[in-house]
Amino acid sequence: MQSIKRTPYQSLASFMILFFTLFMAVFFFTLTSFFSSMLSYVETRPQVTVYFESTTQLEQINRLKEAIMQSQKAESIKYVSREEALKIYKTSISRDEPQLQELVSAETLPASLEISAKKPEYLKEIAAFLQKQPGVDEVVFQKNIVDRLHTLTTVLRGVATGIFAFLLFTSIIVLITTTAFKIALKKDEIELLDLLGASKFYIRKPFLEEGIFFGLVSGTLAFATFFGIFFALQPFLSSYLRGIPDLSFYGLSHLQLFVWPPSLAFIVLSYTLTVAFGVIIGLLGNYFATSKYI
Amino acid sequence: MITFDSVSKNYSYGSGGLTDISFEVEDNDFIFLVGPSGAGKTTILKLIMKQLKPTSGSIMVDGQDITDKKFNDTTALRRKIGMVFQDFKILTNNNVFENIALGLKVTGTHDKKIKESVEELLTLVGLEEKKFMFPLQLSAGELQRVAIARSIIGDRTILLADEPTGNLDPKTTWDIMKLFKKLEKKRTIIIATHNVEIVNSFKKRVITLTGGKIIKDQRGGGYHL
Repeated sequence: MQSIKRTPYQSLASFMILFFTLFMAVFFFTLTSFFSSMLSYVETRPQVTVYFESTTQLEQINRLKEAIMQSQKAESIKYVSREEALKIYKTSISRDEPQLQELVSAETLPASLEISAKKPEYLKEIAAFLQKQPGVDEVVFQKNIVDRLHTLTTVLRGVATGIFAFLLFTSIIVLITTTAFKIALKKDEIELLDLLGASKFYIRKPFLEEGIFFGLVSGTLAFATFFGIFFALQPFLSSYLRGIPDLSFYGLSHLQLFVWPPSLAFIVLSYTLTVAFGVIIGLLGNYFATSKYI
Repeated sequence: MITFDSVSKNYSYGSGGLTDISFEVEDNDFIFLVGPSGAGKTTILKLIMKQLKPTSGSIMVDGQDITDKKFNDTTALRRKIGMVFQDFKILTNNNVFENIALGLKVTGTHDKKIKESVEELLTLVGLEEKKFMFPLQLSAGELQRVAIARSIIGDRTILLADEPTGNLDPKTTWDIMKLFKKLEKKRTIIIATHNVEIVNSFKKRVITLTGGKIIKDQRGGGYHL
């Protein structure tokens, strides 16, 4: 604390760059987690839906189902009968619109197969195969959505990594510079400690502790600022993202880790990671500075 | 025991170095290093502290060749040695107690033991009433007492002093020298000084240097300008 009071502007510079870096880190962490979870969710949804003509027999559909399973390209295939399709239709239609509910019967809806591919690149092959089969009325597949999400997530990860690497480098350089200045101010004291037989670690310890302190404080403030803004915008986000179900963080739903809506466990994880990053950056910057100048 | 064996130290800028000097200092010996400015007095002290490396020759401290390439325990060496400077080198943000304690704190000694040692030394140097005062509240003589207390705290058996009375008035100079005399029986003391009166009155071993060479090494000797 004494060192911070003695060099307030240098300490502020260290704090601000760390704060900005960690704010961007928690922002990109949450964003990439959201898109990755979204992608995982979309990938688990049926990606190819094949609707059959009303004359198509169940045996014919089962043979087709068997043929696709044997191709080893499908993760799962679900048969949706006309009756089930009607149920799904009715639950998706508002109860305030009884006319719409009465207009449709099981006979008017087609039976279908909902297919999830093992890999997104199999979607086109499965769709092409199905389109050639007799009794098939229509084939719908979501390749574009998956592709777009894939591209978006990849680009986002790349951009986030690039920006974070740049900020990390800048933070460490700023920390090295400000710590070097503080070391220069304490030159006489350091020389005295050295002559008294202090170990290198003893002399470096206050600077390393300062790095940890900056990491802790700036990490906590960056986290609080980000989630403060996030929760202020949550009503808007909730309406914009209506229909999106609970998105687990990399499938860790058993640990109650949900990106959307953010669960307490996810918030705690974000805080821990932000502060851990801050402490590591603060320590690294001051470690390099003290290694070079003490 | 400290042994200098054919030690030379050349500085790129010229003066202040040493040329092929050899001498031995027995345990609990009291020695004055005298000579004009640039004679090499401070260089000898810095070589013992391993602040400098000799250009050639070897230096043994307590049976260890500190000039050996394999010697890497400078920290342990410095914990055996206390150093007193002309400009005191007292930390202005720390009080008297904290400044003295620093000599033990750096060794990782327990706080209780530090407190006991500091209290004992405060009595020895006559500053027990001023232990919570800060350097700006002390006279030059008192600051040098703090520095001496700091330099002998713990297991420091060698005391090196570089012009310890250079910034003091005559009365304070004598007070400080009396303090050194009090300490002589338990440790080796090497004082680099210009002060003729002190050297001549103490009747101790005097090593006279000129131009980086020992021109006289005499027990009970004196110093004449």
